[in-house]
Amino acid sequence: MKVGLFIPCYVDTLYPEVGIATYKLLRELKLDVEYPKRQTCCGQPMANGGFQRMSGDLVEKFDDIFKKYDYIVTPSVSCAAFVQFNHPQLHKHKCSTPEKTMELVQFLHDVLKVKELPGNFEHIVSVHNSCHGVRELRLSSPSEEHIPRYNKIIDLLKLKKGITVKEPERSDECCGFGGMFAIEEPGVSSRMGDDKVKRHIATGAEFITGPDSSCLMHMQGVAHKKKYNIQFMHVAEILAAGI
Amino acid sequence: MKKEELLNKLRSSVTQQFDMPSEPVKGITFTDISKQFIEMSKTVGGKVIEVKNTDDLNTIIHKAYPNAKVFASVVKGIKADLNPDSVASAAELNGTDVGIIQGVIGVAENGCIWIPQTMKERAICFISEELVILLDRKNIVNNMHEAYKRIEINSYGYGVFISGPSKTADIEQALVMGAQAARGVTVILID
Amino acid sequence: MATSHSKKAAAFLSDPDKVTRHDQTFWGIREKRDIQAAMLPEWEDLREHASEIKEHTLTHLADYLEEFSKNLESNGVIVHWAKDAQEFNEIAYSILENNKVKKLVKSKSMLTEECEMNDYLIEKGIDVVETDLGERILQLMKLKPSHIVVPAAHITRDEVGSMFEKEGISKEIGNHDPTYLTQCARYNLREEFIEAEAGLTGCNFGVAATGDCVVCTNEGNADMCTAIPKLHIVAMGIDKVIPNYDSLAVFQRLLCRCGTGQPTSSFTSHFRKARPDGEMHVILVDNGRSDIIANPLHWKTAKCIRCGACMNTCPVYRRSMGYSYSYFIPGPIGVNLGMLRNPKKHSGNVSACSLCLSCDHVCPTKVAPGSQIYFWRQELEKFGTENKEKKYMSAAMKKLYGNYTVYDIATQYAHFANYIPQKMMDIKQNTWSEGHDMPHFPKKPFHKIYRQMMKEMEKEEKRK
Repeated sequence: MKVGLFIPCYVDTLYPEVGIATYKLLRELKLDVEYPKRQTCCGQPMANGGFQRMSGDLVEKFDDIFKKYDYIVTPSVSCAAFVQFNHPQLHKHKCSTPEKTMELVQFLHDVLKVKELPGNFEHIVSVHNSCHGVRELRLSSPSEEHIPRYNKIIDLLKLKKGITVKEPERSDECCGFGGMFAIEEPGVSSRMGDDKVKRHIATGAEFITGPDSSCLMHMQGVAHKKKYNIQFMHVAEILAAGI
Repeated sequence: MKKEELLNKLRSSVTQQFDMPSEPVKGITFTDISKQFIEMSKTVGGKVIEVKNTDDLNTIIHKAYPNAKVFASVVKGIKADLNPDSVASAAELNGTDVGIIQGVIGVAENGCIWIPQTMKERAICFISEELVILLDRKNIVNNMHEAYKRIEINSYGYGVFISGPSKTADIEQALVMGAQAARGVTVILID
Repeated sequence: MATSHSKKAAAFLSDPDKVTRHDQTFWGIREKRDIQAAMLPEWEDLREHASEIKEHTLTHLADYLEEFSKNLESNGVIVHWAKDAQEFNEIAYSILENNKVKKLVKSKSMLTEECEMNDYLIEKGIDVVETDLGERILQLMKLKPSHIVVPAAHITRDEVGSMFEKEGISKEIGNHDPTYLTQCARYNLREEFIEAEAGLTGCNFGVAATGDCVVCTNEGNADMCTAIPKLHIVAMGIDKVIPNYDSLAVFQRLLCRCGTGQPTSSFTSHFRKARPDGEMHVILVDNGRSDIIANPLHWKTAKCIRCGACMNTCPVYRRSMGYSYSYFIPGPIGVNLGMLRNPKKHSGNVSACSLCLSCDHVCPTKVAPGSQIYFWRQELEKFGTENKEKKYMSAAMKKLYGNYTVYDIATQYAHFANYIPQKMMDIKQNTWSEGHDMPHFPKKPFHKIYRQMMKEMEKEEKRK
């Protein structure tokens, strides 16, 4: 199985450690993983802002770069969801990358069916269920729906020795990032972020962890400004801890 | 607007037509249907009195409302001061302490009781301070799907599902009974 | 950058405690809705049915409207067809005028809000009295609804209490207990019901097979409006028609559970005929609905049954309140309906969505209002209402991400941004810094580190 690693633009620039953790983790699981050159962005930021028409070239480029892989894995739920659900409408031709692209948790849980992971993480973490992870990729059962409860992120985190996993009240309420939403609606966005961070802190967690660095970046920005005592770590970093 | 004009516009704008769902919804059912009905009646703010068909309903109603002065009803055998069939206007029923009406179907899932209009002035169902609804235990169904298969509307052309008293939470979401219609509902469940 | 919604939201957000109260109120309703959903094993099946029934009905609407109106007429009901708000108001007035009505009591109807009927009738000399407690409070305070189901939820008990005192509705000065105030309104409205010569109700569902106009209320005010006056006017949008009682069961079960988190409304009233010696009129209103149904991209918005669940769950609505939206229906569905009504006028609401899609998943008829907002954003350029700064930023991103050489150089120097003092970041144009500290750029982006790692690994391989 040949895996192409997709490290989205903002992870590349701001959170290289998340990319490194993802790479290490996949290598640890004995996968033939490669980070193809010249990749940048999936086109989501402009599309969510209302300029999907500007994403077209990036969408084509994404397909060109990644089509040779069996799976394309990325540590970002919103980018994975954009590739899976939006790329098909933006492509001018039939292409295979949307169905082969998977977010890291999805890939570990559903494809590799990982049942054990080495390494300890002796901390209390509060899981941030990012919206697109919940309601598009279905990493956990959306709280709105009356279906059996599950959470793939928690399933994986619990494979780490010593970890204590919590979820905040309103377990899948939006943190208020939403890409350009945060810039266009700064008041509502930062209030949502503040509310969310407080609920995470109320669990007694030392870390807020989630499958999307953009949510974490937003909450981290709010937490720093308000001088809250809480740390942030991407799920990939926790899963790769001690590896 | 001409009706035809609208209908033509609607017809011409549809490019794809969809079918009705093929299977009906399987509504929730309960092992003890009358226990569920009683619980729901209480949940929605009502009271329930269980009686036998040999019991004297007038005595039971008066005992339940010892301070009531004006009773109104058209139900056969129920003693009343006001008769919604013979009052000159609906407004004459204003001041009714207890209205007694006949329910036809009870719904276990939500405490609804189907009341078809059987009196000239249906205001009795709403204007009374307290409402007593008589219901045969054998007429309780599981859910609204079953209820809607059974309800009928007579020549008065009106019927209502009532579930508990009139209520509102319009002021700071505080639940208050007795907004515009009956402040309280007692269901008399008859075996 | 600021949109009309974000500007008005900022004003509401300036009182954080008020925001907390507002948020809690509506999250509370969402929680009650969840409890109701959890009690029914068939919940998701119900939603799917509701969605399919609506899609069927809307694509066969002409047939169902014919059947519905035929059944109404066979029961002696007088049916009117109104093209738009103006025609609706004129018809309503002509019925009242013909019957020499001076006072009209009415139950809650979003259609009459949409058509601004009250103002029209009041101007013509009709005394219009709202009888839903929330609507009555707003009418006396000369305010508009901030929500379609609980329209006065943003008003405090003290505000209601003071206003009731001023209006002479409550006598005990300073008693602002909701139970007391509700009782005062009850006595006050009793007089109005008895004096009124006509009652007007909305219609939640029009059953084609029987001709029933079904109205759901908790207060029983629709019944009070129609059990005392002899003249009943029903105001209903053409989208309210459903096929039959089996369909009605599906919607009745969903409406209240989704809207207020109750297992049912207290009253589900079926009006099929006029009262003895009375008259019943049904005014079927288009006012843009046929255009919505004809819109290939957005016709499913017409599936909405106005339960309000999307507002209650919307994290943006809960923190910005109904008045921050320019359309009279707020929240996710209101953003959509506003765009369908007048896109130029209501584009300022399209920003009010983080695309969390919670609304798509609570919606009982699967309208998917959140997903639809994504599509509206793509259409703003067509109306010339797109955000120019956002467009500029998107174009810049397209350039940056589209040209790898530029991207590579830019990311190499990104960490110099760390040395810009926070104070300089707190400029007006940088709305991010209003609520956040700036993120810290690492020394090297991932792709550089990866390249280095690969080189080192190659070296190691060679050594072996």
